[in-house]
Amino acid sequence: MKRIIVFAVTLAALTAAGCGSSKSSSPKKSASTSCSTSIAIEGPFTGPVAQLGLEQLHFAELAVAQYNAADKTNVTLNQDDTQLTPSIAVTKTQAIIASSAVAVVGPAGSQEVEAVGPLFGKAGVAFVSGSATLPALASSGKNPTFFRVVPDDDVQGPQDANYVINHLKPKAVLIIDDDEAYSQGLVKVMTPILQKAGIKVNHQTYNETDTGATLANALSSIVTSQLTPAETVTMVPWQTATAAQQFGLDVAQQHKKTILFGTDGTDSPTQFKIPGSYVSNFGPDISTATTALDKSIVSGVAKYGPYGAFGVPTYAATEVLMKAIASVCQAGQTPSRSNVLAAVKKTSIAPADNPMGVTIAFQPGGDLVGAPGYLFHIDSKGTYVSIPNH
Amino acid sequence: MQEFLQTTVNGLQTGCLYALLALGYTMVYGVLKLLNFAHGDVYMVGAYIGYYVIRWFGGPTALTIPVPLLIVIMFALAASGCGLLGMAMERFAYRPLRDAPRIAPLITALGISFVLENSVLLLFGGFTKSYSTPSFISSTNGIHIGGVSIDSVEILIIVVSVAMMIGLRALVNRTTLGKSMRAVASDREAAEMLGINVNRTIALTFFIGSAMAGVAGVMSGLAFNEITNTIGFLAGLKAFTAAVVGGIGSIPGAMIGGIFIGLAESFSLSYISTEYSDLIVFGILIATMLIRPQGIFGRPPLQKV
Repeated sequence: MKRIIVFAVTLAALTAAGCGSSKSSSPKKSASTSCSTSIAIEGPFTGPVAQLGLEQLHFAELAVAQYNAADKTNVTLNQDDTQLTPSIAVTKTQAIIASSAVAVVGPAGSQEVEAVGPLFGKAGVAFVSGSATLPALASSGKNPTFFRVVPDDDVQGPQDANYVINHLKPKAVLIIDDDEAYSQGLVKVMTPILQKAGIKVNHQTYNETDTGATLANALSSIVTSQLTPAETVTMVPWQTATAAQQFGLDVAQQHKKTILFGTDGTDSPTQFKIPGSYVSNFGPDISTATTALDKSIVSGVAKYGPYGAFGVPTYAATEVLMKAIASVCQAGQTPSRSNVLAAVKKTSIAPADNPMGVTIAFQPGGDLVGAPGYLFHIDSKGTYVSIPNH
Repeated sequence: MQEFLQTTVNGLQTGCLYALLALGYTMVYGVLKLLNFAHGDVYMVGAYIGYYVIRWFGGPTALTIPVPLLIVIMFALAASGCGLLGMAMERFAYRPLRDAPRIAPLITALGISFVLENSVLLLFGGFTKSYSTPSFISSTNGIHIGGVSIDSVEILIIVVSVAMMIGLRALVNRTTLGKSMRAVASDREAAEMLGINVNRTIALTFFIGSAMAGVAGVMSGLAFNEITNTIGFLAGLKAFTAAVVGGIGSIPGAMIGGIFIGLAESFSLSYISTEYSDLIVFGILIATMLIRPQGIFGRPPLQKV
């Protein structure tokens, strides 16, 4: 029995040592006093866009684990499922404010940030989103504690519109919003750019809250009644990749032709894979990256299967909070909402130390300084291929 | 013309699914005077059974059996699974409340709806599940005439739905079980006095209605690919609207009501607005309640004097 115990203890020690060494290529270790606190993550972990939220959750969990090990902190991550619904996000936010969480990763959707931003602002809770891209979120002044590690739609929208104009050269474009703030914001940015280039724009709307037969009927009807042969490009800046996939299948079923152009919400290699389509995003593809940090992230999330571009920015958002908490502890303070918020405002993470590949630093409104956009083409096998220097 | 015909095809496909669901609502209402708001979630369970049958036989890209056989197995398992689920709901949730005030089973039905939705969430996760139908049934197969496309899944849905509706009508009008169902619907106590096993009749009514919902769930998955634990809510509401518009309690009413709502939705999407189609469909419900509360095929209630 004694031998078994000795063996088990030895094995546990070796395993622990192994775990430590396997993370040597992950975040750099720094000396700091140990500190305990909690943060929360708001995301859609269930519902129609759960694939997006779960990806964010897995990357955030990995970041917490890696930076806890690297900075000798003891930060726990509480999960709050918002289902991408503002009313649920408000309820969850009230619960977070009543809890001991010092900062928040998320929420995912712009419409959710609109709903919860003033609440977090009043409570002095820093919240860093890895996917809310509506420009007004940072410029309206209503969300004083909001930060994001991704470019806003004023980057993504023009990038997409210009790529369509310069490379796909359509005479007319069908552009469909999903009746949500995120989608309508992108349409509002892209439409005048396309029109200015002499492209005729047919703007339609479908209801993002529809499901099943009703949703399918809506998408199929748009293909039937709206998509003309001249509209060789259809822009689908939606939050549901499965809807974009269904739309693409409807186009094929009705023997029509158009190139689909999705945005970050449709970025899901497992769900939106209509060959010939394009998807823009705010996060890089790190699957073939060579840096130690990127490799550690890729191997850390491998067990969850394929992922899109939502995870990497959320890792970066979590990293911002973890580093802010570590800096507070290094200064000999106990993490609180106010000192973590102050530390987040001073964030400056070098490109080599975060997976976004750019310096993470925030402007006064919470926007990232100098954020680039990313673009992918879906090849004949349904694989996402990065388009560099677009 | 091409757009009109394609819109009609879209509407017929959706309408057939609503009709199959509406039949479940109307049958249960007929025998129990209960609005079974969990019926949409039975449809969702049927869609999940179909999904796991595909997985069981190798997945959409590596099926180990021929596609027609797969579809038959999906229908059979979804129908029997959902039928048994319907019977269980009746036995354990509604039967104990049969003599309770009508609000009690109505609230219970809403509760069961949430239980089913969240049970599926817990058991199978929040991820959208994909039938990936184009991997084993080409979406470009089917009939393509003059720019109007009817793919093989749409044909399957329309044919199977019409066959099931005809079968149900024959069952209700020409079999002993159908007579029992009509007797129980007409006067439960009198039917019991005449020797009809009311409990068995009601249980079988739930079985048949739920089985049809299960088949509709599978067809929904085949047609629209993506399923989640929430797909039953809106479909259930639309089917309820169809049952009311057709005349709740009337089997032909549910069929016609379902197809009418599907077409109304499709035409409003194509010709009026993609944003306001739900408003139009539920506006039809309100208009029906105001103008003809008994629905198209319903009869006004007799008042005893």
